[in-house]
Amino acid sequence: MKKYRPLRIYPVFSSCFVALTLLSLTACSTSTVIDEYRVTNTHLNINDGERVVIMGRRHAGEYETEPEFIECIGNKLDTGGKLSVMPEQKFLDIFYPWFEPRMAPLKLKRMSRMLEKPLIADKIKALGIRYIVWVDGNTETTEKNGSFSCAIGIGGGGCFGFASWDKAATYEAIIWDLKKMDEQGRVKVETKGSSYLLAVGAPIPFIAKVQGHACEGIGDRLKGFFLQDATNDQPPESKEQP
Amino acid sequence: MKTTFTKKATGLTLIIVSLLLTGCSTNVTVTGDYPSALIQPLPYHVGLVLDESFTNYTFESKQEQDVTMTLGKSQTQLFDQIFSDMFVNSSTLETIAKATASKVDLVIVPHVEEVQLAMPFETRLNVFEVWVKYNLQVFNSEGEPVADWLMSAYGKTQTRFLKSEEEALDQATTAALRDAGVRLAIGFKRVPEIRDWIEQREKQKPLAQSGDQ
Repeated sequence: MKKYRPLRIYPVFSSCFVALTLLSLTACSTSTVIDEYRVTNTHLNINDGERVVIMGRRHAGEYETEPEFIECIGNKLDTGGKLSVMPEQKFLDIFYPWFEPRMAPLKLKRMSRMLEKPLIADKIKALGIRYIVWVDGNTETTEKNGSFSCAIGIGGGGCFGFASWDKAATYEAIIWDLKKMDEQGRVKVETKGSSYLLAVGAPIPFIAKVQGHACEGIGDRLKGFFLQDATNDQPPESKEQP
Repeated sequence: MKTTFTKKATGLTLIIVSLLLTGCSTNVTVTGDYPSALIQPLPYHVGLVLDESFTNYTFESKQEQDVTMTLGKSQTQLFDQIFSDMFVNSSTLETIAKATASKVDLVIVPHVEEVQLAMPFETRLNVFEVWVKYNLQVFNSEGEPVADWLMSAYGKTQTRFLKSEEEALDQATTAALRDAGVRLAIGFKRVPEIRDWIEQREKQKPLAQSGDQ
């Protein structure tokens, strides 16, 4: 009687496991570059009762600065103590229609003209809005490769394939001091990252948090403008402009 | 055993058929909420005539993809809100005929002229875009035409992971209606014929006041 050799399944699983481990270690890598420009080396003065508003630019046709990104920066900055941040939507609703995409001032000159209107100026004063941080940019998918497909039947379903995509996030934040009617600084962040999706039965995603890292980078830097102890959090990749 | 299989197969077929039938059409009911406008109200009484074609307005598109958007209720809410902020006194009228009895200074009859959509698959941009064009007919208290203002508004929203087409169109239309509010609040006084009417009224006011004395 002929003796069959048993199918060696363990090496297949172990090599898959090694491949997955390697992929998870190398995948989802992101790189962040931050440029910062400060008008002065001193921290921005913010008194009790004064607040900061983080606003997204939405005047461009082909993209808009994501509201969730603005919310993320706001959460990073709002320490609950010295730094108080007014939510973007609340500010937009209170000052409707003056900060809607069609009307929002792009330059400080337009902002100062807007503050000549007593209705707006009084409201700004009453709410203690001292700084407006304008954030312009977005996160986009730059490249997509591979494919995977899923099927479902009576007995069950599954997916098979491999896909990867690259994302790039570019944002610039500009700080306006409404008391001095002056620009106090800029922070520019560029984050790139690759994500993967491996599907062998069940899809296994390895997602790079590109927008999350951009938010962390820009949020930490902005915090450094206002709070003295926040400057230690700055990421090592950043470089400073004179 | 066979019966169980048949039941499962029938169930699955029903699900697939219903998915195919509903999968190609998009139904949106615009649910936007509009804030009060921070503006100085004009010292006049305005009558806003919102007929059924406006309050129950539904946009339907059969191009490439079937889209049905119900925005009548939402735009009625916006116009009510904005006009009550723009004027010291505002009333909603059913017809223009009731304007004289209501002693209003101006009567405004808005109509939706056109709605246009641009979906990401058409523009290859990651944004949903909505344009709404209104025609605002403005009459004085005697029912004589003052202005015919064509006003267009624009709104967009970016595509998001796990966000449905319905949700995106709702947000884009809400943004377009908010923009319409901006155009009304800021642009109304700048329409030449309306500006002239306001100037005339301002001139008449001192005369009327001196006449009273």
